[in-house]
Amino acid sequence: MGDRRRIKVLISVIGLDGHFTGAEIVSRYLMDAGMEVVYLGIYQTPEMIVSAAIQESVDVIGISSHASNYDQIGMLLDLMKQNGLNDIPVICGGTIPRQHAETLLKRGVSKIFPPQSSSESIVNYITSIVKR
Amino acid sequence: MKRQTDYGYEIKPVYTPKDVSDISYEKDIGDPGSYPFVRGYYPNGYRDRIWTRRMTAGLGSSRRTNKVLKKYREMGQTQGMLVIHDRPSAMPIDADHPMGRREAGVLGWHGVSLLEFEELMDGIPLIGQSITLLGSSAMSCMRLAYIVALAEKRGIDLKEVHGSVTEYPFCHTFGQTDHMPLDLNIKLWLDSSEFIIRNKIRMRCGILSQHFQESGGNNAQALAVEIGQLKELLGLLVNERGLDFDDVGLLPYELVSIGSRFFEEIAKVRALRRMYARMARETFNAKTEKACQLLISVHTSGRTMTYQQPYNNIARCAIQTLAGAIAGCTAIDNACLDNAHAEPSAFAARMSLNTQHIISDETGVTDVTDPLAGSYFVERLTNEVEDAAYKILQQIEKEGGMIAAVKKGYIHNMMYESARKRQKEIETGECLIVGVNELIIPPEDDDDIPIQSLEASDSEEIAKRIEKWKETRDMSILKDKIAQLYKDAKKDRNHNLMPAIIEAVKAYATAGEIMGVIRMAHGFHYDPLEMIDCPFKLS
Repeated sequence: MGDRRRIKVLISVIGLDGHFTGAEIVSRYLMDAGMEVVYLGIYQTPEMIVSAAIQESVDVIGISSHASNYDQIGMLLDLMKQNGLNDIPVICGGTIPRQHAETLLKRGVSKIFPPQSSSESIVNYITSIVKR
Repeated sequence: MKRQTDYGYEIKPVYTPKDVSDISYEKDIGDPGSYPFVRGYYPNGYRDRIWTRRMTAGLGSSRRTNKVLKKYREMGQTQGMLVIHDRPSAMPIDADHPMGRREAGVLGWHGVSLLEFEELMDGIPLIGQSITLLGSSAMSCMRLAYIVALAEKRGIDLKEVHGSVTEYPFCHTFGQTDHMPLDLNIKLWLDSSEFIIRNKIRMRCGILSQHFQESGGNNAQALAVEIGQLKELLGLLVNERGLDFDDVGLLPYELVSIGSRFFEEIAKVRALRRMYARMARETFNAKTEKACQLLISVHTSGRTMTYQQPYNNIARCAIQTLAGAIAGCTAIDNACLDNAHAEPSAFAARMSLNTQHIISDETGVTDVTDPLAGSYFVERLTNEVEDAAYKILQQIEKEGGMIAAVKKGYIHNMMYESARKRQKEIETGECLIVGVNELIIPPEDDDDIPIQSLEASDSEEIAKRIEKWKETRDMSILKDKIAQLYKDAKKDRNHNLMPAIIEAVKAYATAGEIMGVIRMAHGFHYDPLEMIDCPFKLS
């Protein structure tokens, strides 16, 4: 009660990907919906993302990815496990082909939002998974 | 549904002679081949020269991309080739860098050394087709050096090679993976441009609005950004490097992003030709007609290609390609049906190339030059987008010009606000997109398409190969060339580094090494990601 702090979401582009527009737009959606966003920007490694997640004690991690071998998202999940962060859901957005999306979901990504997903669907999903 | 251009001009239901009463045909439009070139540069349009029909290539190892290029040649792509960089080489870092090995071959070709270029071009002619390499400003000098070195190896006169392998210094502002400081990118851009111009090489330099527009910018902003860039960058070549504008004006080419708003896209290209011609004459006192002609290529818009119901993208691609063809251009590379999923599969590439040939060979579009000239609507739109662009350009100039506006974040904000507005219009249904906010089908009913994918093991293989290969190089020659490059890079800003870069490239120094040493000479860390140290002793 009383202490209902805002949902805190980390948004980052992973690896050497320079496409930042999607991550910036989604960050704004979440802020407009009253969430707190820790925006890391581009050129973030799984290690950097994990360390920021610990430091900022975020509720959710959102990863933007446009064309990859998607291995770094897997690396992020492994690293989170090693650091005892399994309870933080990881959601992904971007141009992730369906075949890769299925693999990532099996590896532990909680949800993948394809391009053109509505702000409402993203906000609603995050609100529904964060236990407070 | 909104009936407005993306830059906010309200479209009327009917256009009449009143809408063009302020336009003088002789002064404002002119015949094809005449100043201000609204109608294009050739009196007979495509009868004089058909556009180059090409497709983007690049994924995985150089040998893999080489196979794709050969396949494209079988598919009818013989006038010109277009290859883009992978992420590590765009930075640039080598595949054996701890971050490079994670993404080598992702999104493009790992073009970090002359060896990679030799493998890319194995069995593929360097002349008789245009050679275009894209995807990173930082790599411009390297790519130009590859061309020089390979032409020499093959015994070809450098002047016979044509195409474009260099790019404007703002790529990383617009979402490209290029991790060089802007001022250093500008210095290196001046070096490669000056080298091309002084040696009269038939190579153009991409000064593009496409990255800006694909990251969110609207049509009027794209024109303003393009003219703003050209004005400032070409001005540097004239003022800092002492070049004649009539030579400088032959350097740039523009890659325009063409979306589905058919008439507006055509108007944009027509306006761009006029804006450039006027700038060349009025700002730079261009004396030749050639120097008033901005070469324009078309990329159909990747961001309009939907993830949902991907086969719909074939229709979008056809409409956009037709718009590009009617607008008049020198080359088209069209986005593919799988653009929102992956790099083009063979199937998607064939569809895109065939779409271009259907348009060039079956529709009659190549028979008549600038066929929409004189349309009340299109002429009005041409003026409207130009007027709106000049207003934005004034703002950019108020910020101190393009370089200052980029540094202040002004251009980034403009792009971001425009992307956000567009997204909002899609969410509210003001803009309709089939498969996205109308005529939606459940994801499980959507069509599966062939996907060309790259595995982590492919990236690792590229990394291992480079590691081993680096040890086989003649290190004494390489170290000499690197030492010379470092010495030259310490000289004043106008000292051209191209000769030293070419020598280092011929000694098989890599992009990570060459750019790292240049970075150090300019006071930066050897590694853009500051994870590895310089392997050379420099003094």
